[in-house]
Amino acid sequence: MKLSTKSRYALEGMLYLAVFGNEKLLSIKELSSGIQVSAAYMEQIFFSLKKAGLVSTIRGAKGGFVLNQPEDEITVGKIIRAMEGNMVPVECVSSLSACKSKVRSSCISRNVWVRISAAISDTADSLTLRELKEKYIAENGGRS
Amino acid sequence: MKISTKGRYGLRALIDLAMNSGEGCVSLSGISQRQDLSLNYLESIFASLKRAGIVIGIAGAQGGYVLAKPAEEITLRDIMTVLEGDMSVYDNLGERTSIRSFLNRNVWDVIDSSVDAVLTGTTLEDVLKDIEARHLSADCSEL
Repeated sequence: MKLSTKSRYALEGMLYLAVFGNEKLLSIKELSSGIQVSAAYMEQIFFSLKKAGLVSTIRGAKGGFVLNQPEDEITVGKIIRAMEGNMVPVECVSSLSACKSKVRSSCISRNVWVRISAAISDTADSLTLRELKEKYIAENGGRS
Repeated sequence: MKISTKGRYGLRALIDLAMNSGEGCVSLSGISQRQDLSLNYLESIFASLKRAGIVIGIAGAQGGYVLAKPAEEITLRDIMTVLEGDMSVYDNLGERTSIRSFLNRNVWDVIDSSVDAVLTGTTLEDVLKDIEARHLSADCSEL
């Protein structure tokens, strides 16, 4: 039951932006070297984050990315959903009609997936970028 | 972040077995019919469950499978470990940056433990009771 690496790098990129993007705007190049992934991959990820309204771009010579929502409103859940579409371990949790089984309306296992899904989303939705940033700075100072 | 076909079908089949094991062992062809799952696939799933000591196979014309332990002693974690292997939401990519090791500890491990709490805290018996309770409330709503 693995998250895509895309979601993981997206959260790494967002935290990097929150911690190091205050003094100056960060470019894809700076973000990708901070996270140690290719610039092309980072660009793809930030394109999705921008489409989801989590970051925006400022043009110009000193341009780059900024967070587009308050840090305490950006949650891990929002970032994962921006990358994966949803956060459910089995498709039937969000849409029963995604299940092609003849017995789906009397499914005996769906409720287990609903419970696991709730555990994941409750946790992910309660973790904010602000909290993570403050904790990261307290642990690491300003180092990446 | 998806559960595999083996995990989804296997849990459904095992719940079916537990629900129908009142009168001895349950045949895979019965599970196959009730759950609309292929017999071949069930055979391979039950071979894994048998090897892991979750079910016992009974040979013979009236043969089939029974739970190896009472349903209240089998947790979802026991079952999903056999069907899915590791249930963690992340692979260790190597902690090359302090941001990554920070997020492993403060986000991904936290999500993993919330999932693990559900898996270890829920037995097959709990699942059966939950199904029964929902059937009862469905029956009542038809009155």
